[in-house]
Amino acid sequence: MLDIIDAAQAVVDGVLFGATYAIIGIGFTLIFGVMHKINMSYAAASIGGAYGSLILLQFVDAPVLAVFLAAGFCGGVIGIIVYYACFRFLPLNNPLATLMSTVGMLMLIDETISHVTTGVPLQYPAMFSNVTIDIGQFFLRGDLVFTFVLACLATVALLLLLYRTKMGIATRAVSQQQVAAQLCGIGINRVNALTFLVTGVLGGLAGALIGASIGILSPMLVLPLTVKGLIVTVIGGLGSIPGAIIAGLMVGAAENIFQFFRGVSERDIYVMLLLFAFLVFRPGGIFAPPQGRD
Amino acid sequence: MDFYAGLAQVIGIHTLLGLSAYCVLLTGQVSIAQAGFFAIGAYTAGVMTVIGDAHILTAIVTGAAAAGVVAALIGFPALRVRGLMLVVATVAFGEAVRLLFFNFTWRVEKDGVMVGPTGTEGFRQIRYFPENGWSTLDVTLLIWAVTALVLAALWWMDRSRAGAVLRATGADELAAQSVGVSITAVKVSAMAIGGVIAGLGGGLYAHVTTHIEHAQFGVMLATFAIAYPILGGLSSVFGTVLAVIFVQGFLIEGLRFMGDWRNLLFGALIVLAMNLRPSGLLDAQGLRVLGNLFKRKERGHA
Amino acid sequence: MIDMMKSRAGSLSSALAGAMVAMALAATPASAQERTITIPGFGAKSGVLRIFGVNSEAAMNAAAEKINNEGGVKLGDGATGKFAIEYLDDRCVAEEGISVVRRIASGSAFIAVGPTCSNVAESLFGILQKKVGDASDTGLQFPIIADVAAKGGLAKISDWSFRNVPSEYEMYKTLFGWLRENHPELTKVYGGVEKDFAHSNATFGVMKKHAAAEGFELVGETEWLLADTNFSNQVRGMRRAEPEVVLVSAHPFTTCGVLKEMARQRVKPKVLVGLTSSSSIETMQGCPAEAEGIIIPTGFAPVNDEARAAAEAVAAFGGSADIHSMAAYEIMFMLKEVIETQGIVGLPETVAEDRLKMRDGLAALKRADGLLGELGRTDEGEAIKPFLFVHAQDGEWKVLHDPEN
Repeated sequence: MLDIIDAAQAVVDGVLFGATYAIIGIGFTLIFGVMHKINMSYAAASIGGAYGSLILLQFVDAPVLAVFLAAGFCGGVIGIIVYYACFRFLPLNNPLATLMSTVGMLMLIDETISHVTTGVPLQYPAMFSNVTIDIGQFFLRGDLVFTFVLACLATVALLLLLYRTKMGIATRAVSQQQVAAQLCGIGINRVNALTFLVTGVLGGLAGALIGASIGILSPMLVLPLTVKGLIVTVIGGLGSIPGAIIAGLMVGAAENIFQFFRGVSERDIYVMLLLFAFLVFRPGGIFAPPQGRD
Repeated sequence: MDFYAGLAQVIGIHTLLGLSAYCVLLTGQVSIAQAGFFAIGAYTAGVMTVIGDAHILTAIVTGAAAAGVVAALIGFPALRVRGLMLVVATVAFGEAVRLLFFNFTWRVEKDGVMVGPTGTEGFRQIRYFPENGWSTLDVTLLIWAVTALVLAALWWMDRSRAGAVLRATGADELAAQSVGVSITAVKVSAMAIGGVIAGLGGGLYAHVTTHIEHAQFGVMLATFAIAYPILGGLSSVFGTVLAVIFVQGFLIEGLRFMGDWRNLLFGALIVLAMNLRPSGLLDAQGLRVLGNLFKRKERGHA
Repeated sequence: MIDMMKSRAGSLSSALAGAMVAMALAATPASAQERTITIPGFGAKSGVLRIFGVNSEAAMNAAAEKINNEGGVKLGDGATGKFAIEYLDDRCVAEEGISVVRRIASGSAFIAVGPTCSNVAESLFGILQKKVGDASDTGLQFPIIADVAAKGGLAKISDWSFRNVPSEYEMYKTLFGWLRENHPELTKVYGGVEKDFAHSNATFGVMKKHAAAEGFELVGETEWLLADTNFSNQVRGMRRAEPEVVLVSAHPFTTCGVLKEMARQRVKPKVLVGLTSSSSIETMQGCPAEAEGIIIPTGFAPVNDEARAAAEAVAAFGGSADIHSMAAYEIMFMLKEVIETQGIVGLPETVAEDRLKMRDGLAALKRADGLLGELGRTDEGEAIKPFLFVHAQDGEWKVLHDPEN
């Protein structure tokens, strides 16, 4: 009986932790959806935004919410820098070049963080970190529930942005038919820059939430988060925001359940197998986006 | 002298790693799995010389064959996915291989000592070269003999019909199919050839570093593998060699005098390189310029 | 005329005498002559492990400054040597470590101090000549002494490799003995380990062995990977077992993660034992509140005047003094002693003999002065170091117990 409860708790814990993957996945998938390019430096930029917000704490004893917003701000700034350094001046028809330039950016951000902080893990302020919600035999982490709620709110905000504003229509137009959008007078560069700004802010917030849920920030977070983010993006469907959320929660749950049954050494092998299963049986992902004409 | 010979060894092995990704990139597939094939070659060759007492050439050829077989097997499911999904799938495969070696233990007693791969501790004491009297220069010559062979083979292939077929598949699959090119055969063989080359590199790597462990064959190494052909340009195999020399020779060793700034410059220079030369250091235009240089010289003599 | 010749002869002989005196004076300054002896260090100065390289470099510089201020090193040909430190970054990559050492070996250095990472040490020691004097072994003949690389059994890979790293076996053996003495009522032990890091893995085995030998009952164990961030499964198992003593064999990042999860799930053991490498500033920066009370054996703490002065000197060079960096500090003094006893000259022409002398000297150095007491050396090239136990109190490492006193 205890085993079933433990297994259920493992699933619950995993789903909640998966909210952090979901948040990173949203950014990856949005950039891919709009620009049809991968931004390998996204997770690094998110963690970088979180680090940036810690600078604020050096000067002012700010409340936690202010730190989160500062992280969003820093994330947005880094996002714009990434756009101008890695995408703006590169030919659009060369996906390999932007892949490589974002890898270079990933290394640059990683090393900058390691240099400034000497690689030492830093404490990150959290909201609701001591809150646990007890439901019978189970208990839920309050801060992860908060992260999940915030991820949902961010999705709603993003979807509102995409479907209710002029900028959103322009973004969707560019993602579907770039040439036609240009012919209609939509500035591609402006739309792309704005996409990076929005995803950057979201990424910074994601970095802050991840830092808060772990309690510490370290450059070690960057690479595993990048890999998880990519996996979540693919499983969720390239360009689908709800897909990224569901995939994030699913990967979080799967990870924890595999670990519960097979231990830590084999856990990641099974996560990879899950990905392969999706690629074989449902290559478009959970919510395969409508195929454009080109 | 030893230092330069050692540096040449590193450049040679990384060239093999880069060429394995180059092969696959020509057909339009972005594979971040090359580090996995590299690992298979490394462990196989190591086991052959340490446990099997084989000669180094037998060992690396076996390693290459093993990696090639696995690569061919991966080539088939890889056909079903393209673009970002293939990138993620190959990352996942590479990680799966690394995790398999994380759990792989096979120890045998030799001369009273337990040798062999030991899971998380890695595979230590692969000392074929020092124990058999190979000097640093000898090893460098072996590595470059293998690399030169692979370079020559790929260069020759590029100039033959096979190269045209590969590039056609990479440029436009639909058009290639419509002229009768079997996409399946091309993509799987490219993957297999890439696997063989990576396996060769891995086998040599294991013997040069004398100790291998799962952590060395992660996403970072796979990213380096793909970085070399992208940085160097896909128009010619020599682009990859140039990129390896640029990264390993200039960025890593040459910039040492800059101390702490070296690592920051690393990422920044890659971003800069891609902005300045998005098609690689040696792209089609560059090749044409070089070609004209030589032609002008010839005309001068005539 | 004879007078003139006599006077000329006289002036000639005085000139000759003058010239001989001048030559004699020119010949003596060998003892007043000064030479720079460059000691190269290498290790991780980029990435997550950057702090190790920064600390080791600072420690080596601090030690070099002290030695130079106290008169430098007496070289084999009578000259005085002043130490200069050159620190190279190997980025914790085995190939680069080998390249760095080959670069160092192609110059006139006769020793290198490093590396930080055990995987680099494995490869590096593997390319060295295994047995000194074995002509059939083409391995590199260059002595290396490690300050940080902590995986077990590394120094015995080659006759040219040495380490100044404390023995985890001895430290935990003494620690559990002391725990048994001071906490006779505690029995239940639960262990957690960072499985994919050779150092933590090996030390976990040592911890368990000694805990069992002292009558502690292992009620369970769990594991995670070094970059993991979610420990809910592991700590839940711990909570169920209700242990009195918890062992955490992991580096600061995951140690903090596990401790935070334990706080969240309200797991409060009476005694917490950590991994040697976690007795550093990293843990205090990452989770000072949750780490309160954790006991860790270490090879360095500022418990006497010399240690305190050394720690301050290292801080002046921008590093922090801990079990790893102070090993590098102690190494510099060991090198001074070997240079003087073996008569190492330190000139480009004498490089090969200097390297052999350094190797022989280090192998023979069975006793040296360490910051906490005397240092010994095993036949395999490993160090026998004094140690003490520290525990985290109010965000700082304070000495809990010194087994020597």
